[in-house]
Amino acid sequence: MSKSLLLNSGFHNAVLSLAIKTIKLRYKNSFLGIFWSMLNPLIFLLILILVFQHINHIEHFALYALSGLIFWNFISASILQVITSFIDNAAILKSINLHPFSFPLSAMVAAIFNLLLTLIPFFILMFFLGYQINLSILAFVPFLIVSAGFILGLGLFLGTINVFFRDIQLLWTTIIPAFFYFTPIAYAPELLPEGQRFLLKLNPFYYFIDSFHDIFYRSQFPSFENFGMSFLIAAFSLFIGYIAFKKYRKGFISNI
Amino acid sequence: MENLQPMIRLTDVDICFYIQENGFVSMKDFLLNLGKYKLLQKSFVLKNVNLQINKGESFALLGKNGSGKSTLLRALSGIIMPEKGKIELFGAVAPLLGLGVGLEHELTGIENIRLCCALMGMTKAEIKKRLPEIIDFSELGEAVNWQVKRYSTGMMSRLSFSIAIIKQPEILLIDEVLSVGDIGFQQKCLKKVMEIKENGATIIFVSHNFDEVSHMCTRAALVNHGTVEFVGTVEEVGEKYRQLFEH
Repeated sequence: MSKSLLLNSGFHNAVLSLAIKTIKLRYKNSFLGIFWSMLNPLIFLLILILVFQHINHIEHFALYALSGLIFWNFISASILQVITSFIDNAAILKSINLHPFSFPLSAMVAAIFNLLLTLIPFFILMFFLGYQINLSILAFVPFLIVSAGFILGLGLFLGTINVFFRDIQLLWTTIIPAFFYFTPIAYAPELLPEGQRFLLKLNPFYYFIDSFHDIFYRSQFPSFENFGMSFLIAAFSLFIGYIAFKKYRKGFISNI
Repeated sequence: MENLQPMIRLTDVDICFYIQENGFVSMKDFLLNLGKYKLLQKSFVLKNVNLQINKGESFALLGKNGSGKSTLLRALSGIIMPEKGKIELFGAVAPLLGLGVGLEHELTGIENIRLCCALMGMTKAEIKKRLPEIIDFSELGEAVNWQVKRYSTGMMSRLSFSIAIIKQPEILLIDEVLSVGDIGFQQKCLKKVMEIKENGATIIFVSHNFDEVSHMCTRAALVNHGTVEFVGTVEEVGEKYRQLFEH
C-alpha cells in the first residue's frame, strides 16, 4: 500500500472495474435489483415503529430509527463484504498480477456506491419523517470518509485472518445482530438509566451511528466526542488492518 | 540462440507456501493452541532456482504434476513473491495460467473481456479499441453476449486466450492451456503463439504434450521436487523427463 500504488491510474482503473463487477453481480438475475437494499431497512423501520415507538419518548422516532438503520446496514454489511473480498475474488487473485489490496478497496467502493444510490429515495423519505435540512449536511461526506476508513481497516484486519480461518466470516454474521441491539438504533440512549449509559460508549459502532444521528436526526454537526472518537477508531482500524495485511499477504495464494 | 540478451533471470529463488501444518480447522483449535505453534508453517515449493531465459527464446518447463512448474510461472507473473532471491524480468508479461481462470461466470463474454483487460492494466480507450479484435480472434460470434456460465470449456479457453494475447506481450507464459479447444482453434492458438514469437517475444511453456513442446521450443528445464534439476535442449530434457517415470 505504498504511496505510488494509491496514485497509480492502472490501479484505480482495476479497483473501479472490480467494484462495478461486484455491483453487477449482486443484482444479476434478480428482478427487484437494487430495491432489495432499500426493502430491508424499510421492513425494519416498520417493525421498529410498531414495536419500539411506544417505549421511546423522543420526537420523530421514525426519523431516528431510519437514519440509524440505513447506516447500521451500510456499516455491518460492508465490513462483511470487505472481509470476504479476498475469497470472493480467489480466481482473480490466483491468476492476475494485481495488488491484493485492490479487492478490499473495490468492495468498499461498491458498498459506498450502493449506499449513495439507496440514499437518494431515503433522503426524500426523511423529509416526510421530520428531517430539517441545514448546513450540518455538509458534514456527511467527510464523515462518510472517516466511516469508510473504519470499515476498510477493520474489514482488512478480519479479512486477512479470514483467508486462513473461515470462522471469521461466520463469527461476524453471528455477532453482528447482537451489536445491533448494543447500538442505539431501536432505542434512544436516554432510555437507559443515566448510570448505565457509559456502557453504550464501549461499543465502537456507537460513535459512528450517533454521528449519523447527529447529521440526519438532530440536524447538527457531529459532536466533538463523536467525531473525535470515530476518527481515532478509524485510524486504529486502518493501522491494525495494514499491519495484519502486510504480514500475512504472503500466505494468501497458498491458503485461498 | 543468436541473441543472448537475458529476458528472465532467476537468481537463488526460493518460493514458500504458508500453511497451517498443525491442521487448525476452526477457531477453537486455534485458540486452544495459541502460543504453542507458529501460526503459519513455511513450506518450500521451489528451492534455490537459478535460471536464465534469453530474448526470443521458447523455453519449456517439464516435470511431474506437483513439481512446482505452475508455481514457477505464478512467480514469473508476479502473483507470488519469492521468499528469497531475485526474479528479474526485462519485459511485459502476459500470463495464461489455466483455462478460464479469472473469468466471472455470471458476466457475459464482453463484460469479462472489459474486466480482465482493466485488471491487466489497460485503459478504457485501449480496451474500446481492442474489443472488436479480441471478439474477432475468439470466434465466439453471438456467444460473446452470453453469460460465461453457459460456455463450454473450449469456449472459455478461447475467450481467455484471446484476452491474454491481445497486449502483444514480450514474455508469454503458457500453462497447459493450448490443449483445450477444438483442433481448429488449437492450430490458430499455436499459430498466434508462433507469430508472437516471431515478433521477438519470449515464450515459456508448460505442457505434458511432448510433441507440442518439441515443436515449439528449443531449450527446456526439468523441474523436479521443487528445483530446476537440469537445463538443456528439449531432446535432452525430454529424455530425462521420461526417465523419471521408468522406475
